[in-house]
Amino acid sequence: MPEHLNMLLVEEQALLRKTVSLTARSLGLGTIHEAATMQAAERMLREQTFHGAVISLDCGTGQGCAYNLALLDKVRNGTSASLPTIPIAVMVDNATTDLLKELRDRRISRVILKPFRAKVLLDAFATFNPNATRQY
Amino acid sequence: MLAAPIPADDKERLAALRALLILDTPPEERFDKIVQFAATEFDMPIALLSLIDENRQWFKAIVGLDVCETGRDISFCGHAILQPDIFVIPDARADERFADNPIVTGEPYVIFYAGAPLQLASGFTVGTLCLIDRKPRQLDATELAILTTLRDLLLEEMEAAHA
Repeated sequence: MPEHLNMLLVEEQALLRKTVSLTARSLGLGTIHEAATMQAAERMLREQTFHGAVISLDCGTGQGCAYNLALLDKVRNGTSASLPTIPIAVMVDNATTDLLKELRDRRISRVILKPFRAKVLLDAFATFNPNATRQY
Repeated sequence: MLAAPIPADDKERLAALRALLILDTPPEERFDKIVQFAATEFDMPIALLSLIDENRQWFKAIVGLDVCETGRDISFCGHAILQPDIFVIPDARADERFADNPIVTGEPYVIFYAGAPLQLASGFTVGTLCLIDRKPRQLDATELAILTTLRDLLLEEMEAAHA
C-alpha cells in the first residue's frame, strides 16, 4: 500500500463531500477526489487510479426502488483504471437482505447507513490507509 | 464566574468585525447550512455562528436557541476568541471560570462547549463556530478536525461576501 492514497467519494451532498475531503487532507489520510454523480464517478474511475472508494448508492424515490450497482460492477469487473480488488464502502438509505447479498457478492468492505456523518465516512477512508490510521 | 476578557486590540477587532457589514443582518442560507450541518454531524442540541460585538454576542446563524444575542460578559465565545485554537470546556459545572455562569446554572444550561475561533485574514478574531450540549462531552481528534474544516468553510463564506 503506497504512503499517499488517492480515494474516491461519490456523494450528492456538496457540504458533506467537501467536509470529508478537506478533513481527510488535514488528518493526512490521503487525497479524496469528489464526484457528485454516478456519471462523474464513472468518468473519474476510467481516467484515474484509486486505492479505495466510498460510494453513495441512489435508489431513487419510486416504489420498488432498485439500487444502481453498475459502478461497483465496473470496478470489480476490471473495467476501471483501478485494481478490481480496491476496498469499497457503500452508503445506502436502508439495507435489505437482498441488497446485502448483492453487496457481499461484490466484496463490499463496509455498508454505511443513514444518517451519513462525515466522521463515519472518514473512519471508512482511514481503514483503507493503514499507514495513516496509525498516525491519528 | 470569570467575565469574558477584553483583548488589548478590541477596538481594532471591532472595526474589522463591523467592516464585514454582517451584524444585525438577516439569516443567510450559506451560513445556516454549515451551522445546521455542524449540529447534525456532532449531534448537538445547539450550534451557533457567534460574532462578538462590543457588549454582546450576536448570532448570525442559530440552531437550538430562540434568542439572537446574549451579553458578551457571560459568553463562552468571548473567551474562545482569545484562544489560538478550538476552545473546549467538557463540563462547565466543573470549571471555576464558568460553574456559576447564569447560562450554565440556568437556560440554556450550557454544560459542554466547543468554540472554533473565526480569525480573519487580517488576524482579528471576530467570533466562533460553537457547539453546545446540555451534558458533558469530549471531542476526539477526528471531530476536532471536522469542526476546524467547518469553521474554515464559514470563514471562506464570510470573507468571500466581503471581498
